[in-house]
Amino acid sequence: MSDAETEKLQTLPVLPLKNSVLFPTLLMPVNAGRPSSIAAIESALATEEKEIVVFAQRDASVDEPQAADLYTIGTKAVIKKMARGRGGIEAVLLGVERVVRIKLEQDGAFQRARIRPLPIIEEKSPEIEALHREVIDLATRAVELTQPQAAAGMAQLIASAQSPLRLVYMLAPMFSLELEKEQLLLEAATVADCLRLMHANLSHELQVLELRSKIASEAQTEMSKEQREYLLRQQLRAIQKELGGENPEQNELTLLREGVEKADLPEEVRKEVDRELARLERLPPASPDYNVGRTYLDLVLELPWKKSTEDVLDIGRARQVLDEDHYDLREVKERILEHLGVLKLNPTAKSPILCFVGPPGVGKTSLGQSIARALGRKFERLSLGGLHDEAELRGHRRTYIGAMPGRIIQAIRRAGVNNPVLMLDEVDKIGHDFRGDPAAALLEILDPEQNRTFRDNYIDLPFDLSKVFFVTTANTLDTIARPLLDRMELLRLSGYSEEEKIEIAIRYLIPRQIKEAGLQPEHLVIDREALKAIVSLYTREAGVRQLERAIGRIARKVAVRHAEGKTEPVTIRRDDLAEWLGPRRFSPDQARKQLPPGVATGLAWTETGGDVLYIEATLLPSGRGLTLTGQLGEVMQESARAAQSYIWSHAEELGIDRTLFRRYGVHIHVPAGATPKDGPSAGVTMATALASIYSRFPVRIDTAMTGEITLTGLVLPIGGVKEKVLAARRLGIKRVILPRDNQKDLAELPETVAKEMEFIFADKIEDVLAAAIPQLGKHFATLEQAAI
Amino acid sequence: MRFQSKQMPILFGAAHSISETHWRPSADIYRTRDGWIIKYDLAGVKPEDIEIAIQDSTITVSGFRRDWKLEDGCTYYAMEISYNRFERTIELPCVLDGAEMRMEAREGILMVRLLCRGENP
Repeated sequence: MSDAETEKLQTLPVLPLKNSVLFPTLLMPVNAGRPSSIAAIESALATEEKEIVVFAQRDASVDEPQAADLYTIGTKAVIKKMARGRGGIEAVLLGVERVVRIKLEQDGAFQRARIRPLPIIEEKSPEIEALHREVIDLATRAVELTQPQAAAGMAQLIASAQSPLRLVYMLAPMFSLELEKEQLLLEAATVADCLRLMHANLSHELQVLELRSKIASEAQTEMSKEQREYLLRQQLRAIQKELGGENPEQNELTLLREGVEKADLPEEVRKEVDRELARLERLPPASPDYNVGRTYLDLVLELPWKKSTEDVLDIGRARQVLDEDHYDLREVKERILEHLGVLKLNPTAKSPILCFVGPPGVGKTSLGQSIARALGRKFERLSLGGLHDEAELRGHRRTYIGAMPGRIIQAIRRAGVNNPVLMLDEVDKIGHDFRGDPAAALLEILDPEQNRTFRDNYIDLPFDLSKVFFVTTANTLDTIARPLLDRMELLRLSGYSEEEKIEIAIRYLIPRQIKEAGLQPEHLVIDREALKAIVSLYTREAGVRQLERAIGRIARKVAVRHAEGKTEPVTIRRDDLAEWLGPRRFSPDQARKQLPPGVATGLAWTETGGDVLYIEATLLPSGRGLTLTGQLGEVMQESARAAQSYIWSHAEELGIDRTLFRRYGVHIHVPAGATPKDGPSAGVTMATALASIYSRFPVRIDTAMTGEITLTGLVLPIGGVKEKVLAARRLGIKRVILPRDNQKDLAELPETVAKEMEFIFADKIEDVLAAAIPQLGKHFATLEQAAI
Repeated sequence: MRFQSKQMPILFGAAHSISETHWRPSADIYRTRDGWIIKYDLAGVKPEDIEIAIQDSTITVSGFRRDWKLEDGCTYYAMEISYNRFERTIELPCVLDGAEMRMEAREGILMVRLLCRGENP
């Protein structure tokens, strides 16, 4: 070892540092608590120079570090300041230079180290320059990320660092580098190494910081969005408060609660409402559930749980109202008056469920309104036509978005009372598909035993429908489910006869149309003959809609005349009709002028009233069996076969040549060919036609017939007698053969009609044949005589 | 703050001193008719431990303050005076090469008088 080197060697007290490295040129406050550290500092203080050497400790948990526990490269320091504190010394050290430890020896309570300065190799190169700038850049960015407000101070600090090395030493403590990394910085052999290390450290640090700040800013945006909403809501609340009214939501709830107190609710409903209200009070008003709950409560409060109208129990007045609105319809009116009578004696009586069946335009719907008026009840109407979703009637559960109560509850809500007349129109036109069968839901609604506690899916509370006067309407019963039909009281409104139509026109339609056209009653008179012509030549229907339209047309034309200034009253006569309504649209129905053998007159019931059918049978020279044409339904085909079988099996009694059956086939056709037909009521007509074609005797032209037959020749009753008879009369056929069991139905006929007509009641097919085919009648008579 | 408090760079004066590892005595500078007087606060520094160097327009005073033992058995309770090496470089607005310099130590203050002949601004 040279002298120069020996000169540089020093022996100084050692201060082991935990968790940090002292860099040259930096000040560091230390707190010495360990006896060995205190002793080392005291020893240094006792010297003239106040010098001490600092080594970082590899492991902070070691209290009495030995040579192996300390890094060999450390820093020589001068104690700048010191003060005694609680149980130790606080001192400020100024790092002076980097040293390497040559020897470590114990000196009493502390250690002394023999050290040699280890100057760092300082050189200048473009690389160092580049690294220097890069480190400045990274450090600036890092500081901007951690504390933007300190960025300016940082720039100053970096500028103040005269050498790259000092910059590194200054930066190192600013970022919490690990002890190992700091020690590596201290140990770097050259400035370039030191800068490279620092650069790597800073890059890593910056990455971590950037990630951190990204996470933080994401959290921040999340937070600030929520805070913003909160703030805005607070402001809104303040504004609303300024505008009057305390807390709007609270206010709303208070109103609701008041509504609940005021509403006279059944106990069960009250409980549910209170529960819902309590739930609502806990919900923030912005939540979607809040609105759902509110709408629900509004509806429940609005429903007429106990509210009902007082029935007008004046039978005289009711009769007057019904007569004012509708002509005839005795049966229906009687039924309504009966109900009134019952209500008078027993106010808790169940309301009947009526079903009006009849062709269009006979006044089913208006009759419902009339009933409501007569009883002094509210009237609500809902059409079931085309309905195919059960939920339409019963509502959707509240869990669904946009859920609504069913139509029944909605109608009740509209009515505002729990005993309206509720008309369910077109009950025969309910559809059903995979969504359920609305007719099945109707079963519950229309059953007086069940509808006391009708539960709508939306309301989910039992509502008493038993006070509702249900009226349903239908054009036909065929498409109504049996169980549903069973629950309703059927009232048939059959088509009107010509006289009835004229009467209705005079009493209701003409005054109404005159009023609609803005005329005075004296301005337009339509005489009876003209009305009759309108009914028969311009309309063909069971009801009176077309008739009313025709009258309306005339009334409007009269109104045009008035508008043109020709104000003289107009009287419409039969001969003027072409001028008012154009050429006649239908030729009057006419019976055939003659009937060849094999043709019989049948009667049919249609939705639009009755009709006359001519059933034609003919023998086929070749071929066998039975051919049926004319769009016949299965029931009708079977009844044709039954008729044929009967005729064949009774050939002898009827005087028919059996060989005909073998030689000829038979064809039965029922015009008009385009209209589908079905039903058993043409049985007797087909038997008559067959008997006629085989026997070659013609059927009486003035006789129409209807009735079902059995193989043994019995004649069974059929429906629609009134319509059928009216149809026969319209064609001028005055003689009608009916099953005996249908005799009672004749009571429905207007008296004028009944008087004009001749009725033959048949028990067996022989009765029909005898009445329809005169020659066969004579044949039977001779047979009978022979038998006697 | 993520600055660690355990170590602080010397923020002030660093730009003026050549080495950041020496302490820096305070100084008062006076302008005279024929030059400058600079007073250095150097109490406790032996005159033989002081060096003065002049180069161009700067004057550098450096040296060493050594502590001395007051009496046996006494130990520090607190210390605020800086010991060991010091250095102070002052730049003056004139060229000092060739200036006449006189030193005087009085009551812990070092007074340096500089006479700049003829070249005074």
